[in-house]
Amino acid sequence: MNERQKRWLLVAVAAAVLVIVEARPAYAMHIMEGFLPPLWAAFWFIVTLPFWVLGLRQINRLIVEKPETRLLLGLAGAFTFVLSALKIPSVTGSSSHPTGTGLGTILFGPMVMSVLGTIVLLFQALLLAHGGLTTLGANAFSMAVAGPLVAWAIWKGLQDRAPLWLTVFLAAALANLSTYVVTSAQLALAYPDASGGFMGSFVKFGTIFAVTQVPLAISEGILTVLIFNALHSNAEAELRTLGVLKGA
Amino acid sequence: MHIIDRYAYTNAIRELDPAQKGGLALIAIILCLALDQPAVGVLTLGWMFALAVLWARVPALVFGRALLAEAPFLLLSLLGVALSVSLAPLAAPAVQLGPLWLGSSAESLAMATRLFTRALGCAAALNFLILTTPLLDLIELLRRLRVPETLIDLMSLTYRAIFVLLESLQRMTTAQATRLGYSGPWRAMRSAGLLGSQLFLDAYRRSQRLQMSLESRGLSGPLRVLPLDYRRDRRARWIGAALAASLLLVGAWR
Repeated sequence: MNERQKRWLLVAVAAAVLVIVEARPAYAMHIMEGFLPPLWAAFWFIVTLPFWVLGLRQINRLIVEKPETRLLLGLAGAFTFVLSALKIPSVTGSSSHPTGTGLGTILFGPMVMSVLGTIVLLFQALLLAHGGLTTLGANAFSMAVAGPLVAWAIWKGLQDRAPLWLTVFLAAALANLSTYVVTSAQLALAYPDASGGFMGSFVKFGTIFAVTQVPLAISEGILTVLIFNALHSNAEAELRTLGVLKGA
Repeated sequence: MHIIDRYAYTNAIRELDPAQKGGLALIAIILCLALDQPAVGVLTLGWMFALAVLWARVPALVFGRALLAEAPFLLLSLLGVALSVSLAPLAAPAVQLGPLWLGSSAESLAMATRLFTRALGCAAALNFLILTTPLLDLIELLRRLRVPETLIDLMSLTYRAIFVLLESLQRMTTAQATRLGYSGPWRAMRSAGLLGSQLFLDAYRRSQRLQMSLESRGLSGPLRVLPLDYRRDRRARWIGAALAASLLLVGAWR
């Protein structure tokens, strides 16, 4: 490659990155339709299936115990979807959308979230053309399973050990961040680097998407703390009914 | 999102059985994924564009805009596939950026081209489906496919509530914006936080009111609604056959 070609390559790469960062509010990263080879698409469906079954069982149990859960969870799904349409300022200056999985997990628990999160992902594919059907298994694993599990571990693990705001911030930010890390890993597994293999490819995808995803995770953490604080003062009774705050 | 939903309800083949439209999209997605060749991807894109614009009468611009929604992801991830980064010097063609080597190869470029066309073809098929079929029809299709009833129930509730909550969201955003609630990043963040909490309360209380009003009308179990009377079009079969045949032919020819 001669000097001129090199310069063009660099300019093209820089322009692409700029266009993407500035173009539109950054969404959480979903793998688009058709991007995963059939085998990997099927693999992620199989991996996510047990979580769907467990989540659905828990929801069915809840509905038998408390019939009002049916409507509550329906509205909760809509809430998570609409929350992901909320535009929040990003720390880099442009704006972004939260995923809502951290908050959803704190409010409704990780197993319920595996089902609700999948419905939200399906609706994002069907109403926003964002994400896909064959990649639903992979996207659900990263956003509706891995993210909520991380959020839940932090929420349960740090409770009464760290200030509430810090717990909420870490749960939401790390849930968002883990979604992005898992998605990068999924892409790297499907498309390993010719010379660096899986790790090389993982670092590559991770770095490229870090530009939009790391600020997004921090913004989502801050937003979730603010929402949670407001809920604490305006909706204490509701939070107690959901079992988010202890004592009745 | 309102755009996709609007055309889903107003296009020329809205009344067509969702199973037929879903079948067409599924044939396209499966063949496009399985054959995995640039020519097949481009042909799928062409087919889906033609079906959406000529058959369903969705404006070409709308179809294009729906495809553009995925552009950021597609461009970024193709960059990841096409480029290799390494600490050790790479074989030409490569450039050195400090300690890093940035390079590409004929194989990875070919891979990126294949991915680009395949993803575009599949996304076009998905967009054909969502621009011609309202979500409620798709949920009805899932019900026929024996998806668990609880899930169907949650999905239809979620779909109906989304638009109600979006309206609340817009009203609250306007109210906040007219009071300078978004005049700076920190204030915007606080406003968004307040908005999120009020939205949650709104959703929570709506669910309670809905529960009460439905219970007073004797709700006990899943919410049942009548599906629409769908039209079955014999042409859809021919189109499906032609679609499959042409994709397979192009796939085998290479």
